[in-house]
Amino acid sequence: MSAEFELTRNITIGQYLPTGSIVHRLDPRFKLAAFIIMILAIAICNTYVGNIFAILVCMWLFQVSKIPIHYGVSGIKPAIPFIIILAVLQLLFYGGIANGGTVYFEYGFVTITSESIRLVLVSAMRFVEVIFLSSVLTLSTSTTELTHGMERLMGPLEKVKFPVHAFALIITIAIRFVPTFAMEMEKMMKAQASRGADFGTGEWWRIVRRTKDMFPIIIPLFNVALARAEDLILAMEARCYVPGASRTRFAHYTANSKDYVAIVVSIVISAVMLGIPW
Amino acid sequence: MEKGLTVRKIVIAGVLGAIAILLGVTRLGYIPVPTAAGNATIMHIPAVIGGIMEGWGVGMIIGLIFGVSSFLNATVPLFKDPLVAILPRLFIGVTAYLTYVGLKNVNQYVAIGVAGFVGAMTNTILVLGMAVIRGYMAPGVAATVAITSGLPEAVVSVIVTLAVVAAWKKIGSAGKQKSKISGDF
Repeated sequence: MSAEFELTRNITIGQYLPTGSIVHRLDPRFKLAAFIIMILAIAICNTYVGNIFAILVCMWLFQVSKIPIHYGVSGIKPAIPFIIILAVLQLLFYGGIANGGTVYFEYGFVTITSESIRLVLVSAMRFVEVIFLSSVLTLSTSTTELTHGMERLMGPLEKVKFPVHAFALIITIAIRFVPTFAMEMEKMMKAQASRGADFGTGEWWRIVRRTKDMFPIIIPLFNVALARAEDLILAMEARCYVPGASRTRFAHYTANSKDYVAIVVSIVISAVMLGIPW
Repeated sequence: MEKGLTVRKIVIAGVLGAIAILLGVTRLGYIPVPTAAGNATIMHIPAVIGGIMEGWGVGMIIGLIFGVSSFLNATVPLFKDPLVAILPRLFIGVTAYLTYVGLKNVNQYVAIGVAGFVGAMTNTILVLGMAVIRGYMAPGVAATVAITSGLPEAVVSVIVTLAVVAAWKKIGSAGKQKSKISGDF
């Protein structure tokens, strides 16, 4: 019974698995850039062999970063029902839209072509690849490193007056406050439950009831959050924090040859993926 | 964002971004509905509130945080596409802010409520539009989802936005803001 209130247990954000592998030791800026290149390649690639190759690459990445593959697989499990439903819908309704290819089956508005089958299989594979890739990235990089990496990657945007430093600070604040608010929310749920409220016990099709159950949690949560924000604003201003002032950095990253190799490898993998014609 | 980001804007964006992430990772932000989309979401509400309270820049940043967190946590293949998960979410706070500013002089409560509605509809329409363009959903299916889960989402958004922003702004009485340096004093 009390398990449903333990929100903090389910939060995997900032989950980091320090195995000390070569992937962990990469410069976060380069790691992030390599990740973005490969995600883009996956988004474009729509061939069978290209996607199978991408899955093999992901498995290889798990191997290299010494992260057990079940961490990636556990991200896919809850999605299997959705993948199946989506696949059926795409298969039934996309024959007419995904043009070209051989028609295998036609009845009324249902058309199954080789292109619609390709769409179904490729989107399922793409999904698995993206989950695997993002698991490797987040499990091998701490949130601090990710934020630093992001800030430095966006550095050039400073020239067009984009507030890069402020943006990185916002992300840091957001990640920092997630566990705090989870605890606040847990407290509020327990307080409401002790007054006889029940959460999530209504049947799932009773949307209005389930939505109403949320209000006594969501609205105070916003108020608590905004009150905390006021405290933080006051504290930061009391310490004379000025946004956009020039600062020195504590963490300095210096790229070495293995970081450049990582970028080259990701470009080669993407090129191979997109170059495979089937 | 005429004056750039003040400390107030930075902190409010961060804190509301944290709520957007929290609603996503604890699955409390999803209300199950029997449609193809599976869920009606209330995760866009922080972006709407941020937009109304601190302007379009803050709204856009919270939208970005919401988009990225929904991209990373997605269990539906549809949201593993950055073009569907991230891009449309940038505009939630912007349209909410514009609506609020446009109607502010008519009536504060009406402006906040309508901004909540417009923000939610921006999310629904742009996400589903993008899903159709990217070929994840047939137009008919998207329209059904827009009605069956988009409208309840919008109603919930209006209620929560009104409750939170009206309480925070304390319309008609002095504000709750502690800091006198930043913010629109």
